[in-house]
Amino acid sequence: MLFVAIFSLSLGGFLFLLTIRTLLSFKTTVPLEDKTKFEQKGYLVFLLACVTLSIRMIVWPWFYFMLQSFVSEVPGAMCMFGVTQILPSTVTFLQIIKPISFFIMGGWLLCYYVDKSTPTAPLARKNLLFLLIVCGVLLADSIGDIYYVIRMKPLMSVSCCATFFDVPLRPSAMIPQAIFGKNFQKILFIVYYVTNITLIALLFTSMSKKWVSVTSLPRRIILYSQYAIGIINIPVVIYTFIENIAPKLMQLPYHHCIYCFMGNGMVPDAPIMLGLFVIGTFAIGWMGILRLLCKNREARLITERLLLKVNNLSAFCFLASVIMVTIHLILI
Amino acid sequence: MTKKFWIGLIIVLIVALMGVSYQKFLINPHCAYDGSPVTPICEVDIVLKEKSTKKFCSIYCATQWFKNNVTLIDHVIVTDEIRGNKIDSYMAYFVESELITNETNDNRIHVFQQRQDALTHAEKFHGTMADDPFTIDE
Repeated sequence: MLFVAIFSLSLGGFLFLLTIRTLLSFKTTVPLEDKTKFEQKGYLVFLLACVTLSIRMIVWPWFYFMLQSFVSEVPGAMCMFGVTQILPSTVTFLQIIKPISFFIMGGWLLCYYVDKSTPTAPLARKNLLFLLIVCGVLLADSIGDIYYVIRMKPLMSVSCCATFFDVPLRPSAMIPQAIFGKNFQKILFIVYYVTNITLIALLFTSMSKKWVSVTSLPRRIILYSQYAIGIINIPVVIYTFIENIAPKLMQLPYHHCIYCFMGNGMVPDAPIMLGLFVIGTFAIGWMGILRLLCKNREARLITERLLLKVNNLSAFCFLASVIMVTIHLILI
Repeated sequence: MTKKFWIGLIIVLIVALMGVSYQKFLINPHCAYDGSPVTPICEVDIVLKEKSTKKFCSIYCATQWFKNNVTLIDHVIVTDEIRGNKIDSYMAYFVESELITNETNDNRIHVFQQRQDALTHAEKFHGTMADDPFTIDE
């Protein structure tokens, strides 16, 4: 982890400087004699970006593998939650920045794919500007990783996850209880299926023009509904997993620890269920990024084709996640 | 929908079924008294003097087996219903309440690591504190 963090930090730093230099010397029209040099330099920047971002994207699941590997080293830790109690603010920062960096890096790679597939690279400037933001997040993430790995010393004794996740006043119970009332667990479960099925239906609807015309809804309304339900679905899925799904699948009805669910091996395919949900949700956001940044007449056809692919990916991931959860709930 | 989409769904289906099978048949052992699958939260382990362990699906099954084999037993490990922690039976709190853990044998005895959890359960499900059913006379 430390090696990857240092490696990506140095590559990211170099990429950041290179991007600024390329942006400063960016010209929409280049003399013929400088064209090859300009193209090669641009190609190098984007190639370096692709390699660095791909590495950083893999680091997100890797981070949890690292936390899991520390469990036996930390006194009192029963699962990853115990490990998160050492340097808690750094771990919280890393747990927040990692999905953000995964999301925007994925978005950038898709934008780059559109630009690369177009003969005149009309989105090069936009991509370079976007790459600057991506580099900023990448550097913060890498520095956070290095700081955590160097400073993390498993010397203090930590508390078990039950003291946080199983108390009656846990946030994952209080928030849904405030919204749905005392029987919140049942209602939350229904809401989980309703939002997911609605989202899957909307994604399937926008897959083809024929289906859009069958539903007789304007395309714009379908798209905005996708974004809105996609955002609502995030807390719904998280709370349902903590409150209903994890305890049922672990066969520990009073234990609501999401870290135990993911890492203790009691439900071996739990990371796949959650991973599919994450990619499905991010794919909706990636479609938004593509629609926002790849607005170009020349790239329209390629963007449309890619949007369809990402849409299919999102629909597949949500459907697969719900199917996996349902199979487990029925058969366990 | 493309062929890839359906192939992907079939793979996911297989992975989910494999996950369930692993949980049902590989992780969960079967009860040494009635042969039913042992759910982790209700597991009772009876450690014998010759160091082998017998696993049971409920306090009821373990008690039945215990009564007939008391001379062979070294100690008994029970599972806390709240956290899933495994503890020695003499350290645990037992509550007999209206809540049934196993429909097959009507087991109503619940195990807790902490006294407060036991009292809360007893209050919620109209139960009373019970003695350790696995007391071994020295």
